[in-house]
Amino acid sequence: MIPSTMPVQPHGTRYCCFVVGSDCFAVASIGVAEVLRDGKITRVPHAPEAVIGLIHLRGRIVPVIDMRRRLGLPAAAASIGGTHLVLSLLDEWYSLLVDEMLEVIEVADHDIEQPSRAAPESAHDAVTGVYADAGRLVHFLDPQRIVHSLARQREPFLNRQGASHGGI
Amino acid sequence: MNDNREFIEEFLVESSENLDQLDRDLIALEERPDDPQRLASIFRTVHTIKGNSGFFGFSKLGALTHSGEHLLGRLRDGKIRLNDRVTGTLYSMVDAVRSIIQAIEETGVEGEQDFRELSQTLAAVALEDVGEQTATPEATVIPVVPPPAVIPVVPPPAETPVIPSPAVPAAVVPTPVTGVAAVAAVPAASSPPAVPPGKPAVQASDSSIRVDVGLLASILDLVGELVLARNELRSIESTDPALEGVIHRINTVTNSLQEAAVKTRMQPIEHVFNKFPRTVRDVAVACGREVQLVIDGADTELDRTLIESIRDPLTHLVRNAVDHGIEPPAVREAAGKPRTGRLLLRAFHESGQVTIEVQDDGAGIPVEAVRAKAVARGLIDAAAAAVLPDERVLQFIFEPGFSTAAQVTSVSGRGVGMDVVKTNIEGIGGTVDLSSRPGRGTTVRVRVPLTLAIIPALVVRCATERFALPQAAVGELVSLRADGGPRIEGLAGADVIRVRGRLVPVVFLDEFLGLRPTTAARENGTVVLVRVDDHEFGIVVDGTQTGGPAGDPSTSRAAHAVTSMEAASLSTIVVKPIGSLLAQMGIYSGATVLGDGGVVLILDLRGILRAKDLPPQPRRGDEAVATAICVTDSYLVCRTISGRRIAVPVDTVVRLEKFDGQELQAVGGKRLVRRGDLFTPVVDADMLLGTQASQEDAGSISLVVLDGRCGGIGIAVRQILDVAVADSILQPSIAAPGVAGTFAIGGIATELLDLAALVPTAGSHS
Repeated sequence: MIPSTMPVQPHGTRYCCFVVGSDCFAVASIGVAEVLRDGKITRVPHAPEAVIGLIHLRGRIVPVIDMRRRLGLPAAAASIGGTHLVLSLLDEWYSLLVDEMLEVIEVADHDIEQPSRAAPESAHDAVTGVYADAGRLVHFLDPQRIVHSLARQREPFLNRQGASHGGI
Repeated sequence: MNDNREFIEEFLVESSENLDQLDRDLIALEERPDDPQRLASIFRTVHTIKGNSGFFGFSKLGALTHSGEHLLGRLRDGKIRLNDRVTGTLYSMVDAVRSIIQAIEETGVEGEQDFRELSQTLAAVALEDVGEQTATPEATVIPVVPPPAVIPVVPPPAETPVIPSPAVPAAVVPTPVTGVAAVAAVPAASSPPAVPPGKPAVQASDSSIRVDVGLLASILDLVGELVLARNELRSIESTDPALEGVIHRINTVTNSLQEAAVKTRMQPIEHVFNKFPRTVRDVAVACGREVQLVIDGADTELDRTLIESIRDPLTHLVRNAVDHGIEPPAVREAAGKPRTGRLLLRAFHESGQVTIEVQDDGAGIPVEAVRAKAVARGLIDAAAAAVLPDERVLQFIFEPGFSTAAQVTSVSGRGVGMDVVKTNIEGIGGTVDLSSRPGRGTTVRVRVPLTLAIIPALVVRCATERFALPQAAVGELVSLRADGGPRIEGLAGADVIRVRGRLVPVVFLDEFLGLRPTTAARENGTVVLVRVDDHEFGIVVDGTQTGGPAGDPSTSRAAHAVTSMEAASLSTIVVKPIGSLLAQMGIYSGATVLGDGGVVLILDLRGILRAKDLPPQPRRGDEAVATAICVTDSYLVCRTISGRRIAVPVDTVVRLEKFDGQELQAVGGKRLVRRGDLFTPVVDADMLLGTQASQEDAGSISLVVLDGRCGGIGIAVRQILDVAVADSILQPSIAAPGVAGTFAIGGIATELLDLAALVPTAGSHS
């Protein structure tokens, strides 16, 4: 399930690291279902802004969350194709669209520090900890919180509809 | 305890299956109390539950089943005889066991309910000398626990308390037909000696295994994936015959695999039907009815998710049929019917759907009372009601609240909550219809799709996107034309389209979804008219998906421009969930992957309705009135042999034939025309209209064959002229036989054939 509930292994927990913008993030590797280079994305009108669409992966329809949008960063340059980091969350799959995948690291729980101010402000609600690794900071993300924070964004859709089509 | 969880779950699943089996066995036993095999099966089942409950330490369950087992043992050994008190107590035990099992399932423990009293009753009954019990009417009460109440059993016929009633003719004795499970729910159990032993209750455990539903789902997903890969493979152009061969084989295997995988979702409808013998018995006892339930087609399969959805509506229909449909025995006898009513529950596959019929041989629904009620409730005006065909009148039963009111005023119809049944069935893309013959009974026909996972859908294009709409909701497509054709009008700030005199609100999909800043489809788009619950609205899209895999959108758009009303291709799509994050938006019900690998969202029409807050359109009343004043949508216009211009509603016509006058055969005063093995009775239109009978033998004649509602007869006319919409409101005819009225079609006065008057004529002809 989620990192916090994972048993601590002798050598620590394995995390997949990735880059979005200029920051390095990581999610527990146990929740990673697949890493995809690219996939044809189908738009979902009126979806929360960070959900840029759906991809089809092995019979499943997977919503794609653009991590740049989620973190409030400008859209990636065309040269950065983006990689789908597909996560399995409580039997639902979500893809985080990230700039680049990095290596898998193994970190013991006691080495993870409290979230620092160094993380991008827009990610604070999803960052569970930070780890200094070879001169860079790795911010640990709770994917569940990312999805939840997006779920809360759905109200504007109905309001918008109400405002523009109130007459009908 | 946690280590045991897996075993306990298995025990619970097994027990609920066993309880269903117990219900069935008990009912069969009531029917034939001397069936030792049945008794042994019941004993075994109870013993198994007792054993398992001891193993898991469920003491209440253990104590209860122990008492039950004791009683059954006495019964088996012939120490006591089966009577109403014994069966009643056993039923109570089954209910009690079921409630404990449920408590364990929900809370993990047996719960607070106290069943000691029931155990004592079981023990007491086991010791009773029942020789006289059955003869005294006051003893025929069934203690029901919980709640502690007594339900009076139907007073058995005075002269024959337990022995089979001689009033029951042989016809209603369950006859052993393969595939038909006949169960009698006659409270005073009768045992027709002619009945051979029923099928032994052997579980098919050897040939089936339990498989996790999640595993099946993932197999289905993978098969879907394989299908897409196969599609890609097929698109590879190759001249290599070896490769061609392999592709062909993969293609064949994939198709078969997909079929087989879809079948794993299927379950026999038995899972619902199984509960009904008990339901029928209970309702029959409570209402003082005698009912024989006949189940046919219990092995008909449909998607397991649908099985759950039809359970409640069907239960409702079955209860209704016993409660309101079948008359009390005395009333039936007075009417010259067998005192035991017959309730037929039938399921079968029909044109890609599952049809389930609930048919009783009761009093039927008094059409006139329903008609009066509909007028009183303002659903239709009196003049319109008077000419409304009976089967349309019956549709009012499905009006919300109609039946409840009807019951109060003793329109002895059916019906409490028929609107709920209809809503539920329509919710899963099904339909309900009802036919009834006074004194002969009522049939309710429920049609549901085989599965919800695979549905026919209309794929539409809008801006650069494609969307799927469930076909079940789609009524028709209207092409917008700038040059005087159908167009969108603004009415009080709302966009509407005029469809045959109705104003239907429309939603521009591109605007609604924000695909384009302003709609581009106003002038030349396509309006998909959809129906959701009581609402009708139009969705304006650029066009519909052309057949085959979606090729280049630009070419398909070009093709669309050429034939603006192209045949919309309906794709069969596999509905896939889109995850809670997007599902909670409420405007998409899922997504699907088309043949070209593209992902397409499925629009949730109810969600669009909610988001746009469109006004409801009372549809059924509307429709009925419209029919009544004879502006059904379109008419077949014909010229009779004597030259009169008549119209017949198109929806009553099943086919048109041409034949030579010589082909008419006179059989016993009727005239028939033969087509293969099919004989159609023929009535001359002129004769219906009271004009001079014409010389129809001369030359070619056209035959307008009407559907079953109109007796399936063919109306002979000289010529079919047109199919058209009426230009004016019908002027009811004054004393013109066979004519319902006159209106203008194509600017020419046309007489509307009075089909209501035709039905009796047709009856005499068939």
